[in-house]
Amino acid sequence: MSYPAVSGDIEVDREAGKGGPAFAAYIRGLGPANIIMGVITAVILFVFVAPFLLVIVVSFGEKIEGASWVWGFDFSNYIRVFVGVDWPNSVTLLYALKLYYTLAYAVLGSLIAVGFAFPFTYFMTQGSRRSQAMWLVFVLASLSMSEVFVVMGWDILLSNRSGLPALLKAVGITSWLKDTGWLAVLRDWDLASPRNVKFKTSQLATVLTMAYLVWPYAVILLFAPLSRIDRSMIEAARTMGAGSLTVLRTIVLPAVRLPVLGSLLLLFVYLLGTYVSVTYFAAPAHQTLPVSIYESIRGATLNAPFGAAQAVILLITAGIFIGFSLMLARLAERKA
Amino acid sequence: MIKAAFKQGFMVLCAIYVALPIMVVCLSALNGGRSMLFPPEDPTLGRFLDFFVNEPVWLNSLENSVIIALSAATLAILITWPIAYDQWKKDTKFSKVLASLAGLPFALPPIVFGVGLSFLWTFIGGLGHMFTGILSHTALLAALPLVTISIGLQSIDRAHLDAAATMGASEGTILRTIILPQTLSYTLSGFFFVVVLSFHEFIVMFFVSASSYATVTLQIFNSLRNGFTPTMAVGAITFLIVSLIVFSLTARFGDLPRLMGADQARKD
Repeated sequence: MSYPAVSGDIEVDREAGKGGPAFAAYIRGLGPANIIMGVITAVILFVFVAPFLLVIVVSFGEKIEGASWVWGFDFSNYIRVFVGVDWPNSVTLLYALKLYYTLAYAVLGSLIAVGFAFPFTYFMTQGSRRSQAMWLVFVLASLSMSEVFVVMGWDILLSNRSGLPALLKAVGITSWLKDTGWLAVLRDWDLASPRNVKFKTSQLATVLTMAYLVWPYAVILLFAPLSRIDRSMIEAARTMGAGSLTVLRTIVLPAVRLPVLGSLLLLFVYLLGTYVSVTYFAAPAHQTLPVSIYESIRGATLNAPFGAAQAVILLITAGIFIGFSLMLARLAERKA
Repeated sequence: MIKAAFKQGFMVLCAIYVALPIMVVCLSALNGGRSMLFPPEDPTLGRFLDFFVNEPVWLNSLENSVIIALSAATLAILITWPIAYDQWKKDTKFSKVLASLAGLPFALPPIVFGVGLSFLWTFIGGLGHMFTGILSHTALLAALPLVTISIGLQSIDRAHLDAAATMGASEGTILRTIILPQTLSYTLSGFFFVVVLSFHEFIVMFFVSASSYATVTLQIFNSLRNGFTPTMAVGAITFLIVSLIVFSLTARFGDLPRLMGADQARKD
């Protein structure tokens, strides 16, 4: 990659730099534009791409007890993720389970987010340009809210002392739940303590916070395809007597089927890496790979290669689904 | 009639759902005591004083956040402008590959990128230095200005370029007098998107700062062992106001629906 492959004008410049050794002549002959692109290419390779390669390389390394780790090439870290460190003598599914929770939360979170974002965005695109811009400011501002702040908000809303459980108790729903026996059912679902409902810690709170996190992203992703739907088609259908639902079913949904699927995939990939919500709202037994990646690399266990192996598994999962979404985008383009 | 009311109602409900946790955080900042109660007890503005004056740890982290966000945004523009320009002008295979590599960190789970960066900075001995934090955010968020600048370049009227070229303007002159002014608002939007997202970013900074400095989001997470406190909520309010100002300005001076990919033909 040392010779930036930037178009034909290099050939002309090289003529001007005749006389010196080939490489020096090449450098002298480069125009400022080529030098800028060369530097940028180097930066991209070093800061944007190298980290991913490093994660992959380190994941094959080996931890040394009581010390750091050394380079290596074996698959033991991967084996440990899927079937445990003592395989083949015994099988532990501890990390496989974490992978399962990672995928499950991300699937549910992205489905819920798109489910609510789709009607919202559909209604939004029917408004005037001005109202669209105002909604977009609102959505973008909430989109940029840090996960830390979002978790802070839901923590207050769901906390036993001053949140939803306290509200339910105050208006008497809690005692009604107790009388009718629903509280026992909720306890089976891990959503209640003997005295009141509880959401911290629960998988429900985890998934809902994750859905909340990507809801604004879902709106932004769906905004473009929904606002490009041909209005005249809808008008035509209306004049021919089609109701709103018929329009939705026969015109809108077929037109945006692929973008919706694509958005689902992208949100799913985004949610694979959620960290704060899971550490805060999920019980330790229900936590995900990102949490244990952190534990391995910076936290208690300090096993960088093992953390890297888990990160690679996350990376591969993400890569597969991004590949799918790119395929969908290409399909959608061909159809358009 | 009923349908319109249903639409409005649904949108307002969504807005409330989105705004609720944010509003709760903002109101909790008024708490007089050290705990986050809602509704706030013994309301006071003292926590604002704590955040901005009394507790230097917060002002310090705010300063770090600002330095990192502004530097990362500047670097991101400097890196992505030539890439977007090259792709728009030449559209070679090389420029396409470069553009997609530049978008890679934003597309993949940030925690993986954070892990990789922490390895990279460890190897070159820069882990925990501010400049590596800046470079990390530059790389993570460069995809945003890359997209806005590309949209801006595509919106330039080719007729202007042809006219300038026939009148004998050189590439440099065209760049200076037509392309740069016409894409300025898109470049600025990209800049501010990076600033805002860098402010709020958590996980990558969590890995690359290695506890030697803290941004506001990191400081909040680090203080979590003692639970959320109203002073943290002041940080949330500050950031929320910054985002609102930035996006309102983008909407005022740029075409926000178009930036988000709306059909440009509709102007009602």
